[in-house]
Amino acid sequence: MLRITDLHVRFGQAHILQGVSLEVADKPIAVVGRNGMGKTTLCQTIMGMVKSAEGAIEFDGTSLVGLASNKIANRGLAIVPQGRRTFPSLTVHEHLKLFSQGSNKPWTIERVYETFPRLAERRGNGGTQLSGGEQQMLAIGRALLLNPKLVIMDEPSEGLAPVIVDHLIEVLKQLSAEGMGVLLVEQNLKVATSVAETVAIMVTGRVATTMSAAALAADDDAKRRYLGVAAGGHH
Amino acid sequence: MAADLVLTIVLNGLTLAALYFIVASGFSLIFGLMRTVNMAHGALYLIAGYAGYAVFEPLYDQDVWWAWYAGVAWGVVVAAVVGTVMQKFLLGWMQGQELRQALVTIGVSIIVADQLLAFYGGNPRQFFAPDAIFGASAVPGVGNYPTFRLVQIGIAVAVGVALWVILNKTKLGLMVRAGVDDREMLAACGVNVPLVAIAVFALGAGLAGLGGVIGSTAQPLSQGMDGRFLLIALVVVIVGGMGSITGTALGAVMIGLAEQIGQALFPTYSVILTFVIMVAVLALRPQGLLGRATP
Repeated sequence: MLRITDLHVRFGQAHILQGVSLEVADKPIAVVGRNGMGKTTLCQTIMGMVKSAEGAIEFDGTSLVGLASNKIANRGLAIVPQGRRTFPSLTVHEHLKLFSQGSNKPWTIERVYETFPRLAERRGNGGTQLSGGEQQMLAIGRALLLNPKLVIMDEPSEGLAPVIVDHLIEVLKQLSAEGMGVLLVEQNLKVATSVAETVAIMVTGRVATTMSAAALAADDDAKRRYLGVAAGGHH
Repeated sequence: MAADLVLTIVLNGLTLAALYFIVASGFSLIFGLMRTVNMAHGALYLIAGYAGYAVFEPLYDQDVWWAWYAGVAWGVVVAAVVGTVMQKFLLGWMQGQELRQALVTIGVSIIVADQLLAFYGGNPRQFFAPDAIFGASAVPGVGNYPTFRLVQIGIAVAVGVALWVILNKTKLGLMVRAGVDDREMLAACGVNVPLVAIAVFALGAGLAGLGGVIGSTAQPLSQGMDGRFLLIALVVVIVGGMGSITGTALGAVMIGLAEQIGQALFPTYSVILTFVIMVAVLALRPQGLLGRATP
């Protein structure tokens, strides 16, 4: 579905992505790694929010390099960005109304409210009056309403209460079961390994290794080396 | 002072405020929401006035009853088209560079004013309102009052309501408000943000055009009106608060009333009153009366 080959991104002198290669097929894939390894930059570059210096990004066989963000979104990619980035000036319902594509699509406003009942209770509230978890649900709902073929989620579990994280895992599994592609960037290993069978580990702007979620979960040495997680696996 | 005189002054202030609101709401839309500093807003007023008059005059000579309406429509269309061209080919390139946009639009307005002078000459022009809204109406407590000025208030209210509906109830309005918060994220959700900016610019420019024809019906159209109405739009938006339609209405009413009351009480220094209000607002509430504080 999505194929990234030798992708480089520079911010002035800083070489943020140093040749990322990654392939996302039908099964969800998780990208993990410590802070500052380039995970968010990777997401933003795929969406055209950051310009790449060299390398290829192909989606369903066509190149996305150099396209404006809105054109990339129209080809079937959606992002749940780091920090949620919901629009403070719009209420919950206005967010959903703005991006709703009609009632004949798989994801409708009603379905978002069914999936996240909390949002239905807060439908009249402005973007700034929502808790972190509610903003995250809204950011996810916003992305799903675009009915994308592939959804990119950049640290969706960040700052969420454990109960909500469990709900999030269920939603992500459900999306994948319905055929939506999922590229999940996570610091939270539990979420990453629960949702995805394959985990790519990023180290200083590259994908250092790709392994199965089960293998990573069992490999304390890899966890310590790549993620700085102590043996025992609390995170 | 006699009560009817006071009421007349207040009504004069309100009708002036109505014109100021029509012009300034377009400026507020472009400046407050798209963060584009359009110093050519007065030039759009002038263009619409002359363009509308070019359509109005021959029709009026033939005694066609819709001459004035045609002039209004054509003025609005021409201003909107010029605004679209400006946003597409000049200002869209320098999104977020406010100083550059200000300088470019000042340049545009100087060129436009000179070209209009070369083409139309320096004689003032004035539209005549159609018979239906010409003449005088009886207003309780005031006596006879020019009907067109009352219509002017009605048009301003209609513009305000229409803008409120567009911004709050339509998809375009939602896109505009979301774009003010986070353009990049809005684009990543599949919205063509430059196109939204062009639509907003066309709407704002069209309002300058509407102001141009209405204003040139209430008072003569001449060279220098561009600078005058640009200044008024700036003052109204600074007082009312950027990007707030209600704030623009409040600012327009304050400035319109201040001008008329000032002229009645101390004619020589009346101009100062406007700027005293602006300075006071800037000192006490820099974001404007109803503006949102920028973090």
